[in-house]
Amino acid sequence: MSSTGPARDESPAIDISGVTKNYGKVTALRGLDLEVARGEVHGFLGPNGAGKSTTMRILLGILRHDAGTVRMLGGDPWSDAVALHRRLAYVPGDVELWPNLTGGEAIDLFARLRGGVDAAKRDELIERFDLDPRKKGRTYSKGNRQKVALISALASEADLLLLDEPTAGLDPLMEVVFQECVREAKDAGVTVLLSSHILAQVEILADRISIIRKGTVVESGTLQDLRHLSRTTVTASTDKPLTELAGRQGVHDLHAEGQQTRFEVDAEHLPAIMRDLAAHDVQALTATPPTLEQLLLRHYGDELSGAGSNGNDAGSNGTGTRGKVRSTGNEVAS
Amino acid sequence: MTTATERPGGAAPPQASARQRGALTGTGTLLRFMLRRDRVRLPTWVLGLTALWAYFANAIGAVMDAESLAGMATMAANPVMALIGGPGYGFDDITVARLVAGFYALYLMLGAVLMSITTLSRHTRVEEQTGRAELVRANVLGRHAQLTAALLLAVVMNLLVAGLTGLVTLGSAIEPPPEAGPSLLMGAGIGATGLAFAGVGAITTQLSAFSRAGSGIAGAVLGAAFVVRGIGDMSTAQDGGIGWLSWLSPLGWSQQTAPFTLDRWWPLLLSVALAVAGAAVGYALQTRRDLAAGVLPDRLGAARAAAWLRSPFALAYRLQRPSLIGWSVAMVLAGVTFGAFAQPMQEGAADMPEEIVAVMGGTEGLLEGYLGFMGIYFALIVAVYVILSVQSLRGEEQGVRAEPVLATSVSRSSWLGAWTAVTAAGALWLLLLAGLGQGFGAVLGTGDWGLFGPVVLGNAVHVAAAWLFLGLAVALYGLAPRLVGVVWIVFVYGTVLSLFGEMLEFDRAVLDTSPFQHVGQHPAEEVSWVAVGILTVLGAVLVGAGATGFRRRDLVTA
Repeated sequence: MSSTGPARDESPAIDISGVTKNYGKVTALRGLDLEVARGEVHGFLGPNGAGKSTTMRILLGILRHDAGTVRMLGGDPWSDAVALHRRLAYVPGDVELWPNLTGGEAIDLFARLRGGVDAAKRDELIERFDLDPRKKGRTYSKGNRQKVALISALASEADLLLLDEPTAGLDPLMEVVFQECVREAKDAGVTVLLSSHILAQVEILADRISIIRKGTVVESGTLQDLRHLSRTTVTASTDKPLTELAGRQGVHDLHAEGQQTRFEVDAEHLPAIMRDLAAHDVQALTATPPTLEQLLLRHYGDELSGAGSNGNDAGSNGTGTRGKVRSTGNEVAS
Repeated sequence: MTTATERPGGAAPPQASARQRGALTGTGTLLRFMLRRDRVRLPTWVLGLTALWAYFANAIGAVMDAESLAGMATMAANPVMALIGGPGYGFDDITVARLVAGFYALYLMLGAVLMSITTLSRHTRVEEQTGRAELVRANVLGRHAQLTAALLLAVVMNLLVAGLTGLVTLGSAIEPPPEAGPSLLMGAGIGATGLAFAGVGAITTQLSAFSRAGSGIAGAVLGAAFVVRGIGDMSTAQDGGIGWLSWLSPLGWSQQTAPFTLDRWWPLLLSVALAVAGAAVGYALQTRRDLAAGVLPDRLGAARAAAWLRSPFALAYRLQRPSLIGWSVAMVLAGVTFGAFAQPMQEGAADMPEEIVAVMGGTEGLLEGYLGFMGIYFALIVAVYVILSVQSLRGEEQGVRAEPVLATSVSRSSWLGAWTAVTAAGALWLLLLAGLGQGFGAVLGTGDWGLFGPVVLGNAVHVAAAWLFLGLAVALYGLAPRLVGVVWIVFVYGTVLSLFGEMLEFDRAVLDTSPFQHVGQHPAEEVSWVAVGILTVLGAVLVGAGATGFRRRDLVTA
């Protein structure tokens, strides 16, 4: 692995192309492409079981991919794992700690095994995240276990942060602290891959976003890039209802109620529709850009109306522990 | 939970009785669920024990003619044999059935006990530890339903073992053909020990928030039960004054039924009473503690990691330390106890008939033969420690605690290597402690300091066999993690050969396949350094194979 030289800063931090991963007969990733530039915060968005954790684990060299190429920080995640791990920190969505080690011990241990801990930063983060580091691992709630992993990751001097749904179980106050910390890391030049199904979190932090669905990245770009794919929601108050718009190309879901008309417009048809609106006597107008929710719905909408195959989706191995717990509960309950 | 009703929407029964029944609501559903979860495990245990018993019951009859049976009787009257076998009822007029009941049944009892302890732990504490119990308890389910269902499951398993081993005894091809009553008593005795320890398990699973610690305490109780009855039986064999010790042990109760000799059923009432008492204490403790908590409260610990906790090796040591401490205490106690018994045993030998002493290699050889044989015993125990350690390594991986460590700059080889090295050193440490304890105990009795060094050495060199098991377990872990349990089969095979092989008159070639066979029972025999070297190298090669396999495979979670 070349850790020096000009190539280091030009190559993307993460470059995945055409990666496939099978668990027996189940395909978790099918031809996944993902590129994360140096220094950017990249949102990795997708529903449960889409393959986010599998991708993270391949980047960590914990799972081996079956086809395609993966490069991270100029190295191979499987064969250069140890050298690469000195430069990255990882926070899983389901942190498990040793029951008889304290949180403080776990924080120090992880950071030291990574290469070193910034003691001042560690203490500052413990303060900011409001964690009692003297408690034993078994006594922490899920949110506190997440804090332990987050503090340890953020207190080490990493070039790359791999965060796999890192704030699961954190309260909104801590979520804000987390966002501050990620911004600080970005300002310090750290590359961040942040996976989530919490759309607001990604929207706030990410420079670019990739949307994964059934083991394939279906969209990738800035929030701006992705918005053109979706529909703007328009609400207009006019003297006469705008019912005649219902048949126009690019207009969807039109609801007219008294003077209020609400509809969605495909981005490409928005200029034409706006020109039409000008001919009417518009008294009030709001146009809302699509939220990530709507982006997602557009990609998964066909599924939601169908049988909803989400639960059986590939890659559920990535969150195996949770899956197992859930299924056990079901067996008992039924 | 206290106001739980039988079924949502059902007619509300009066409050008081509802509370009582409420604690057990859902037990039946849970039991069915446990049976479904254990659809492979339950038959494996029950049929495995039955098959082992069928083997003992038939093989001994097949290899023994009248003459060798008489020889066995003389040998079995020896105090060492009493220690590892039992009180030997009816051995003065021995039959195959009496030999089987008086000597080999003990090992089936140990099997039934382990079955009960692991069953209780698996269905109570492990469920709480993983958080699954919380999900289950959130349904219409009584506070004691889980423990009750686990106990019922253990009862079912032990009844099956009792019935099947009884029938196997009845159907075994031995002379004279076994009668029905004693045969069934034989099986009942085996099942009763399992039942008694289900009661013990009901208590020990409450004590610690950890399944491993709870099982460890139950294992310590088992060890104590074994040693106490062993000393009692030894004393009885020599007409000593402390034969009553056997009556303090659940293993002893079943042996005191003396099938095919006295045929008394009443000692089994003690086993049933212990099971009931244990369950009652378990319920009481459960009422007083929170879900997922132990009886002892958690204390705050260090806010920072100690300066030395900075390598995979240090982590492995830190994680194995609590169990290593427990094992260390047990080894020292057992070592001193067995060592201290060397002198009384030798004195007893002076009163023994000459021919018995001759069988054990003369008055001189008796002491050293005993001390050397105990080395094998400790080697077996340490092999158990080693196998359990590798299994808990698998627990680290499945419990997703390996993943964050391997996401740091710790390579897979150093993670696996560090754990293996700590366990290998731990095995040597434990055998040294056992040797020191046994040597000290022996010197205490005999006053002969010349024994000390040889006894310590005799125990320590057996570490080579333990290392071979370590290698085997690590190789399975790296190459085929699902099959780690297979190492137990090899262990049982080696145990049977080493403890009973010579009595069962196996060929030398077969005996030599046991890893415990080669180092030599020092001080009775010379230490074979060649064997020590070969076993060690073999173990190291297997560890290497395991490490290679582990580097190539995916991590397995859940």
